[in-house]
Amino acid sequence: MNALHDILLPSPVPETLVRGLLFAAFALHLLFVLMMLGTGILGFGYFLQAWWGQELAGAERPALVSELRWDKHVLRMFLIHKSLAVVLGVGPLLLIQVAFSIPFFTAVTLFAPAWLLIILFLITASLSFDALGHKMYVHHYAHLAIGVVALVALLAIPGLFVAVLVSAENPDRWAAVVREGFAFDPRLVVHWTFRYLHVLGAGLVFGAAFHYFFTSRGDPDRKRSLLKWMLGGLLAQVVIGAGLFFSLLREPTPAAYAYLLVGAALAAVVIGLAAFHVGGAPMSARIVLPCLVVLLVSMLLVRQGFQDAAFGSLMPDLKRNAEAYRLKLAQHSDEAVQSYKEHIRIVYDNGQTIYARSCAFCHGDGGQGDGPDAHYLQTPPERLADVRSTKAYLYDKLVHGVAGSAMPYFSYFSPPKIAGVIEHLDATWHVLSVPSPLPARVSHADMAAAAKEYDSTCARCHGTDGRGTTPASKALAPAPPDFTAYSLQPQWAFDVIRSGYASTAMAGFPSLPEGVRWGLVQALSEKRRPAGSP
Amino acid sequence: MDFPYFQFPWLGDGLVIAITAVVHVIISHGVAIGVMTMIFLAEYIGWRRRDERYEAFAKAAVKPTVIIITGLGAMTGVGIWFTTSALVPAGIGSMLRLFFWPWFVEWAVFVSEVVVLLVYYFAWDAWQGPRKKRHIYLGAAYVVLACLSAVLITGILGFMLTSDGWPWGREFWQAFLNPSFVPQLAWRLAESFALGAAFIMAALLFFQRDVVFRGEALRLYSAVLGVSAALMALTGAWWFQVVPSSFKTHAAFAFQMMTGMQDRPWFWTAHLVLMGLVGLTAAVGLLRWRLLAKVLAIPAAVSLIIFLAEFEWVREFIRGPYLMPGYMYANTVLLSEHELFKHEGMLTHAYWYNQTVPKPTPEDQGAFLFAQNCGTCHTIGGRNDIRARFRGRPEDGIFVMIGRTEEMVPFMPAFSGTDDERAQLARFLSKLEQNAYKLGAPARYPPVGAEER
Repeated sequence: MNALHDILLPSPVPETLVRGLLFAAFALHLLFVLMMLGTGILGFGYFLQAWWGQELAGAERPALVSELRWDKHVLRMFLIHKSLAVVLGVGPLLLIQVAFSIPFFTAVTLFAPAWLLIILFLITASLSFDALGHKMYVHHYAHLAIGVVALVALLAIPGLFVAVLVSAENPDRWAAVVREGFAFDPRLVVHWTFRYLHVLGAGLVFGAAFHYFFTSRGDPDRKRSLLKWMLGGLLAQVVIGAGLFFSLLREPTPAAYAYLLVGAALAAVVIGLAAFHVGGAPMSARIVLPCLVVLLVSMLLVRQGFQDAAFGSLMPDLKRNAEAYRLKLAQHSDEAVQSYKEHIRIVYDNGQTIYARSCAFCHGDGGQGDGPDAHYLQTPPERLADVRSTKAYLYDKLVHGVAGSAMPYFSYFSPPKIAGVIEHLDATWHVLSVPSPLPARVSHADMAAAAKEYDSTCARCHGTDGRGTTPASKALAPAPPDFTAYSLQPQWAFDVIRSGYASTAMAGFPSLPEGVRWGLVQALSEKRRPAGSP
Repeated sequence: MDFPYFQFPWLGDGLVIAITAVVHVIISHGVAIGVMTMIFLAEYIGWRRRDERYEAFAKAAVKPTVIIITGLGAMTGVGIWFTTSALVPAGIGSMLRLFFWPWFVEWAVFVSEVVVLLVYYFAWDAWQGPRKKRHIYLGAAYVVLACLSAVLITGILGFMLTSDGWPWGREFWQAFLNPSFVPQLAWRLAESFALGAAFIMAALLFFQRDVVFRGEALRLYSAVLGVSAALMALTGAWWFQVVPSSFKTHAAFAFQMMTGMQDRPWFWTAHLVLMGLVGLTAAVGLLRWRLLAKVLAIPAAVSLIIFLAEFEWVREFIRGPYLMPGYMYANTVLLSEHELFKHEGMLTHAYWYNQTVPKPTPEDQGAFLFAQNCGTCHTIGGRNDIRARFRGRPEDGIFVMIGRTEEMVPFMPAFSGTDDERAQLARFLSKLEQNAYKLGAPARYPPVGAEER
């Protein structure tokens, strides 16, 4: 089966509940996001106003202007707004990930680098605005620089979120993005632009409203200014909202039209009230705040309608495909759990287990280099039962492996474990003892011929000292062994000299007389350093 | 396979999540639980003894603490969601299905915690005199909520080390109240209080001018540090006892990491030195040796941060091949899918792969098999470079090793796919090791250019 499917574990929450929770949590989150955005924009706006005001006023009225410092008053609230916006945001994130796993995660992975940048933007905006809001009086230019950084970081965040949502709501374009990357699509870009600006405009309205009603008591100048910002924001929203309406990617449903009408009517009421009060008495919170909250909810319902339409056509298929795939996998689930059970029973704390799990598939249970996977390898695995070596030499081979062969490194096992493997090899095949005596005595003539043969042929790679560190051996992979620390049982050494070692530089010498070959075996075993010598 | 592939370039996915998570726990444990508890302790003592000095100290410390918690702690906490959803969506998506309710309750606790913290901070001046008691209750409520969020998250974080229960029963409580739940929680709380005490001691020693008060408070927090550090050692050992032996054997690797690991004496010495440093700091503080305490306080805090990072690292590492025990491998392939792919192949089941590459070349197939099987931990050319892992090994050897990862390396998942796919991956990796490919954008699939060099 090759179809996109939902995550296979069943959803822990009924769909209606999760959707309801998602809407409520998102509305709550967005309310604080908007106030956070508004507070950030207003704080920076008031800073500029105070600074320019000071410059314009010159030396005549500095006291008045420095008393203003409205930006400090505004930005002090940033800590609250951003803290609540962020923690409240975890809920919708959680809920959308469980309700619409595939569209959400797909959009996120498509946007991954930008999505991860949000973390940095959040930290930057948060710490910079907190620094400016909490009595950090810095030079104007420093304030300007920090403010610009903070504002850019802050305003980038909703832009990225909107982009992720636009992407999630357009599943028909995912494949093209995966294939060719993001392409410039005028319809999507225009839609994104208006949607993003609509968030910023709403931020301005809600931020200004918050400060108008909650932080400017007894300060008519500031109230008047905030009301102007709010009115400006509302008027901008009407224009941006119209743009957004015409850039919609789907036909609105009748319900969406109804919510839209409610929202527009409330917006008209608030605009009327604000315009009426700009020059006069303060507005009543009891009328305006409920209007604004219902306005927000009705606009969010419009948004929700589009999102549901976008996901609605996708989710049933995803769930059906998940069910089919789940059934298919159910045939294998016993096997899977059984293999898990076996795997966690195995404790890699002794040489025997480690050999059985990590070595035997090549080297074989009997150490004959004939494990079940040995036949895949051109260079046959070592016949460990025939190896006679030292702890240090084997340790080195186990930790570093043998380049040019399939022998991996086992440095991920701690020293005691590797020592345990060597002990196991020794207990089973006596790999740390000296090689057995030759089956027959070698004549003096054969020994002499063997010595000559070694010097003329073998020493080129193996070296006269048997260490295998000659200029010719440098390029060899696998490298020749070090005969001062490693030997093979006589019969196997004899066989290797006759037939060579497949897929290595070690050629066979079948034409050598048998006596000379035994002589070579004897000569090699004499190169072993006696135990304890350096 | 259910999501388009993205890997964080160079660092790899695991390390990015780990960095975010460690920064977060330093703040969530050390500051949000630790420092705030110490501040509350000072406020409480000041209130009970009518000692203005404790009150003033607590009040001065709370502002930077709140800014760090909300600005860095909350952001990195959300950051863990961001990184996991972008880097291992199938993993976090599945975890979420299992642990939705604890995470949802955690969210409610988290929101309450922040609201209480903000009120605690902003109402400090207003709630004085007869209203002070209310402020004290608020502080206590904060400490309880902060600890509660640790309780909730520990149930989820300990789940991966489950040796029995959930994989068979598939019941929520089996997953949440896993064997390592209690010791891990105890350790986390001990670490939080120790780190909080160390931070507060540093603040006292560097910023507090009142000599008499400084000595008194130093003694108080040194006692907290000493007791908490002792509890850390005990609960840490307890936790390690509870971890299933099969997982525990990965620990040596996790502790020592790659090349440094063969040198064990160095490792234990370092631990003893760091533990000794923390103990010594507590002792010096109890004796009110100001100058020495001033020298030691920050190194002691750093040592505790190292222990915290190490604990998280070991915990994440020794879960080894499983993201969800008995259900999902670390590379997000399901254990049952692994069995299926053996017969039917991974490529035929890979939706996005088939969407993306209509006429795949062997390179595409190899690159995809690498991305899905190995890409969670291994990069090409970055950290844990796959080329270094196979340096000098022939193609047939790579083929055999890929087929035996689960047995040969106890903390690695198995390769999922048919033998043909394994051969394709081996060929791709062998050519990669020989630098036969021009590497394309490393973060996206496929990570190689279409043409060979």
